[in-house]
Amino acid sequence: MHQLVKSFAFIIFIFNPLLTSSHDGEKHSMKGHSKADMMEQCVEPTIVMQKEHFKFLYHQRDKTVIKGVRTKKHSLANCIDCHVSYDNKGEAIPVNSDGQFCQTCHVETAVNIDCFSCHASVPRGKQVILKSNDNIKSISNIHAKTSYLIKNLEDMHYEK
Amino acid sequence: MKNNSLLTRRDFLVKSFTAFSAIYIIPDIIPHASASKPLDKEVDSSTRWAMNVDIDKCVEGCSACVDACVDENGLYGFDRPETDSQWIRKLTLKDIKTEKISTLPMMCQHCENPPCCDVCPTGASFRREDGIVMVNQHTCIGCRYCMMACPFKARSFVHENLTEQVTNAPRGKGCVESCNFCANRIDHGADTTACEEACMNEGHQAITFGDLSNPNSRVNKAIDNKPGRRLRADLALKQRVTYSGF
Repeated sequence: MHQLVKSFAFIIFIFNPLLTSSHDGEKHSMKGHSKADMMEQCVEPTIVMQKEHFKFLYHQRDKTVIKGVRTKKHSLANCIDCHVSYDNKGEAIPVNSDGQFCQTCHVETAVNIDCFSCHASVPRGKQVILKSNDNIKSISNIHAKTSYLIKNLEDMHYEK
Repeated sequence: MKNNSLLTRRDFLVKSFTAFSAIYIIPDIIPHASASKPLDKEVDSSTRWAMNVDIDKCVEGCSACVDACVDENGLYGFDRPETDSQWIRKLTLKDIKTEKISTLPMMCQHCENPPCCDVCPTGASFRREDGIVMVNQHTCIGCRYCMMACPFKARSFVHENLTEQVTNAPRGKGCVESCNFCANRIDHGADTTACEEACMNEGHQAITFGDLSNPNSRVNKAIDNKPGRRLRADLALKQRVTYSGF
């Protein structure tokens, strides 16, 4: 009997960490609000973006550096501009930090990217100051809209 | 009695001045508004960016151009002058015979025959169609051959991990970098670099930048007034940065 209790304790001890760290049924959500939160889709259909986004980035980077093409559609700066989250104080959270847009998937798929050892992971610099002011405005809009949606959802729930 | 069908002297003068200014003055006040490149157009050799520095106008002790460059490209350092990046630096020269002291900004000279591109083993050092010599940091392996080949000591190597890069100037550890004539700015339609803007704002107007193919560009006018010379012309590198007044 004593042996049995001991082995039970051992089994629980072994499996405990696995059980507590499992994400099953838990919803993944990112901290903060980004412009992308309120968009229907990215610059291409979502399924294409999920599979091919790095090809767009590779293609665009050579065109930009060598040929001087600065279109916004597939540019990394524009990705960051749209997908970077802002906390409640209106400060940008780096896209490659834990639980943020880039990092969430790349951890899941064990892909190690080194974009952000050179590229800025938040919009930063002279030419983006004006833009970021717009960002803050749009974020407050997003806040208002999401809280409105949540309220409505609750009402709908009660009606049922 | 006033005759309405004829112009008075006053009206004639006013109207002729308006017409004159519309044709000759206003296009000069709004510089090259039509010349800016659309974002999706590739650069080509019809534009030839160049810079001229008038040494007589460059003021000793002024570092506005250097500060503007640091600000524009996020070139913050680690207070280690021997290894910190510098895309533009001020030099002070002294004439041995006359003891005249002059000062000038030194940066990448954007050669038409760039030695840095000749020695680059990966093709990361390259010359863009419009004459800007740049480092493609995606292919740079950090061997620093280009730094040894450059006679103007214009390039820097990033020795340490960086965290505060600006969006418009990506840069990182293990790559060589140098002045790129504010390529990001001019690709977005500007026709001035950060250093030229700063020099203008200081009121010195020593640096002039512009398109050599455009006869009305600031750099062409400056060179017409006071011919610019290339440094170390014996090397036959055909630099796009020239210096006048020495």
